[in-house]
Amino acid sequence: MSIAFPSEEWVTAFFTAINESPEYKEGGKPWTYGVTALVVNPQPEIGLTEAYGIWLDLHEGVCREAHHCTVEEAQTAPFCIFGDYARWKQVIHKELEPVKGMMQGKLKLKGNLQIIVRNVKAAQALVTCATRVPTRFLDEP
Amino acid sequence: MGGYVGRYLEVDLAHGVISELPVSDETRRKYLGGSGLAAYLFFLRGKHTADPLGPDNDLFVLTGPISGTLVPGSSRFAVAARSPLTGIWGEGSCGGDFAPALKRCGVDGLVFVGQSPTPVMLVLDGGEVQLRDATDLWGLDTYETTDRLRETMAGKKRPSVLSIGPAGENLVRFAAIANNKHDFVGRTGMGAVMGSKRLKAVVCRGEGTVPIADPVAYKAICKELLAKISQSVPAQALKEMGTDSAMDLGMMIGDIPIANWSRGEDFELSNALSGPTMSETYLKRGLACYACPIACRREVEVPDGPYKMAVGPGPEYETCAAFGTMLAQKDLAGVIKSNEWCNRYGVDSISAGCTIAWAYDCFSKGLLTLEDTGGIPLEFGDVDGAIAMLHKIARREGIGDLLAEGSRGAARRLGRGSEELTAEIKGLEIPMHDPRGSHGLALSYMTSYRGACHKAHLVEAIEHGLAGYTDVGLEENYDGLTSEGKAPMVRIGEDLGVPLNALALCEFEMWCYQFDELVRAIRAVTGWADYSVEEYRRTGERLWLLKRSLNNLMGVTRDDDRLPLKIRTPVPDGAAAGLVPDEALLLREYYEERGLDERGRPLRAVLEQAGLAEVGAALHRES
Repeated sequence: MSIAFPSEEWVTAFFTAINESPEYKEGGKPWTYGVTALVVNPQPEIGLTEAYGIWLDLHEGVCREAHHCTVEEAQTAPFCIFGDYARWKQVIHKELEPVKGMMQGKLKLKGNLQIIVRNVKAAQALVTCATRVPTRFLDEP
Repeated sequence: MGGYVGRYLEVDLAHGVISELPVSDETRRKYLGGSGLAAYLFFLRGKHTADPLGPDNDLFVLTGPISGTLVPGSSRFAVAARSPLTGIWGEGSCGGDFAPALKRCGVDGLVFVGQSPTPVMLVLDGGEVQLRDATDLWGLDTYETTDRLRETMAGKKRPSVLSIGPAGENLVRFAAIANNKHDFVGRTGMGAVMGSKRLKAVVCRGEGTVPIADPVAYKAICKELLAKISQSVPAQALKEMGTDSAMDLGMMIGDIPIANWSRGEDFELSNALSGPTMSETYLKRGLACYACPIACRREVEVPDGPYKMAVGPGPEYETCAAFGTMLAQKDLAGVIKSNEWCNRYGVDSISAGCTIAWAYDCFSKGLLTLEDTGGIPLEFGDVDGAIAMLHKIARREGIGDLLAEGSRGAARRLGRGSEELTAEIKGLEIPMHDPRGSHGLALSYMTSYRGACHKAHLVEAIEHGLAGYTDVGLEENYDGLTSEGKAPMVRIGEDLGVPLNALALCEFEMWCYQFDELVRAIRAVTGWADYSVEEYRRTGERLWLLKRSLNNLMGVTRDDDRLPLKIRTPVPDGAAAGLVPDEALLLREYYEERGLDERGRPLRAVLEQAGLAEVGAALHRES
């Protein structure tokens, strides 16, 4: 049964997918730089009346904690990536590689770009984990 | 007309005579300047069969209307001639400070003809232009030459120096030209052309200004463009990590060549050689070309060890790959040392690294032996052999004399099946972006007028998503691993990218702009009030067709538009594993898109429509 993105259930499923992923365990091992927060920009016409934050406490290939957060809390994280709903959908569909998306300005990064560029493998592994969550998108029937 | 300072000089090196070369306003608008104007003047002179290292191969050093203004990215100039490496159209462009310095001397461009009987240099100082003896500079490397000339011409203002090193003097076919120490006219061997003329250096120092047609509009557009650059993430990546910011992401997408094009993925290598690693280890600071806020140049220091280097210019991404991943070696200090020698000797680090990697491959397969190499092992994983080869290449000593011919020339001379280990197109070694990961780039390599070139167009940036120009018929996203439908993108990327080397504007700035913004800058500088994106694009098409036609006149046919065996062989790993570009499909679609005939020549009607009727008559007459 598919899970609405974004939602608390989706965040929980994503957390599980990350920690069950051998690719992330390997690819995310160098990551010791702290929390990465993802922010979906508001889009009222599909029911997303305010920005939705996803807090990911990632460390050495493990997700220690994940929860829904406000955009204010998300911005306190060392890395915060903002994107429109359509862009996150492209990322989850593997149509937009996230680091490439940041370089193209389709996703906005608040955080150290050098560290992100250095850890493209971890970013790719995270996306693979997201594709394993059976996802229902709000703009689809 | 703004942007131009009004004088082109022809320098007859055989007779020591300097004269003015008239160029009409109409010609400047049609060909702009830089390598565009160079191509037109080359065509008019009719010397396309000249020996590239002989007295009749004229050497063009030209700025463009944007050069030397404060439009961000306006540091550049172009050098062009028949290439001694490829035998076809050769050109290179360069940042630094030479272009504004030349314009401050009241000169838009220089054309060098003939050969001097002894080493000389051209000095433009204030209002004076003189040929002076350079015998005591001959044999010095580019850093030594620059330091010596700055010492002898010490004054209130530091001169800008163009020079060749021993590689150019010894006619190494991929010799480069240095601007001071940091910036180079790298590709296609323009340094060897300069060396064949015994022209050691060109030195400029002046106080003039570049006229601006509409100062109010100019100030406004410059401010807008600076704001665009400050918001650009690719510009930020270049500023923080240099061009070597390409290494990590490139390894993800199958962009990085490894071990002479034989593998597709090795994250240990990319991590060891990347921009962030350089920042953490050897980087002292970033440096900028004239009028550039991006500052992608690296200044580095290796304080100790076998590759010790005092504070000085650091390697670009191309060199980090050519002397790093292509040799499957991960010592970044070794890459920095290799870069230093490429700079000092004055060689194109791409062609040098690729030719040396070819030699490594030959050695691994027993096609070259220790006897051939003078006892120096050439083993993947090791950089010392490469550094030893650089010394030999620059001096044309032992095997260096073979390698100085470039990989195509060396393989032809060596034989033994070594031709199958090269990766060149029309004699120019493929740059450090694997076309098996970017099929549009593969097409532009096959058809580009320099040979395998990633800079004479915007295809790399468009296909990799570093630049998006959706208001000119391009899509938002391209998949590098497919060949279908790439021809229109490549054509647009070429038509929009080619004029940059005529203007001359840095491509990295163009990644941040849209074309209507660039056109507004051109209008403000030149005063061409009706200049449009459409005219800009038609100019790009005209310049591409002109250079293609010159190549046809120099013997290029459809048979030369091909990928080498190395690239027709898939890599076993990485994002592009198992895939190769569909050469036949790409070319079929492109030939139709461009209007090329079965021999690879632009159709006469296409040339006439582009304002190149005389070129069409010459090209189709000779058939």
